[in-house]
Amino acid sequence: MGSIRHIQIEGTRSTPEVRFDPERHILAIRGQSYPENAFAFYEPLLKWLDEYLAELTAETTVEIELQLPYINTTSTKCFLMFLEKLDGAFKEGKRVSVRWLYDEENESELECAEEFKEDLVLPFEIVPKAAE
Amino acid sequence: MIDKNLLDVQTLLRRNGILISFSGRLSQQLIEEYGEAVKTYLESENRPKNEIFHIFSIFIELTQNIKNYGTAKTDSPFYDKIVQSSIITIGKDGQGSYICAGNLVEGPDLEVLTARIDELSGLNKDELKTLYKDRLKRSEPEFGAGVGLIDMARKSSHALQYSVTPAEGNLSFFTLKAVV
Repeated sequence: MGSIRHIQIEGTRSTPEVRFDPERHILAIRGQSYPENAFAFYEPLLKWLDEYLAELTAETTVEIELQLPYINTTSTKCFLMFLEKLDGAFKEGKRVSVRWLYDEENESELECAEEFKEDLVLPFEIVPKAAE
Repeated sequence: MIDKNLLDVQTLLRRNGILISFSGRLSQQLIEEYGEAVKTYLESENRPKNEIFHIFSIFIELTQNIKNYGTAKTDSPFYDKIVQSSIITIGKDGQGSYICAGNLVEGPDLEVLTARIDELSGLNKDELKTLYKDRLKRSEPEFGAGVGLIDMARKSSHALQYSVTPAEGNLSFFTLKAVV
């Protein structure tokens, strides 16, 4: 995986912090997401994921860590595309799993996580933050 | 006279239970500033967290919809009027906390918009969820998900309400109200 670069993006008010580590195989996205143009923000990440998943072997375990207190509808569309790519890799036999940390007082966040989970087959754990 | 006018504005805001209002041209930066301010304000009032999340969420979808509509109208002869026309309010009335926003909309767009809202008004929570997921999957990310209205309807405790007031030319002033 030497050819695939790390991604480190600091969070802003309307975009999440992104940490994609292709060596430790941890892909983390944390924070609110409602940028002016969500697709412009997520498109490079979706491309990166395509390349990363193409090189991923069946022996490697990948952990996806999500913590998304609020995402607007256009960001939700981008996350749907992101998660569908991961689900596709899982169906091909790759070891991919998602862990979503949420604030127990935020029902919308839990609902959002559950609705993503409903349509995916990959392991998808939804954990209250206090349980960390 | 200015102080008298300001007092009138305040009286009008109070009479309508309006806590926060913004009128004028929206930008992403303003949406972020206002969004955070709204959240902080509601937190200081010790509102339930879910209510705050829903208000914040509807506020963002509504303001981004209005701003995107303006951006899409760059070629319209009414462009300047449209982008200057937005107004957003957050308040409280007998039904609960509400977000009410208005802007000028061109005739053909108005028909599409009102048809979309009418389509949602008869649906229950489960039907809204099914429609939301279906539209989300079929939408094109480049053009926005186009599912903002369904999302707002899902986060509202009552059906979305709207009004239309004819303005000059083929323009109408359109308002949308969501009660949390």
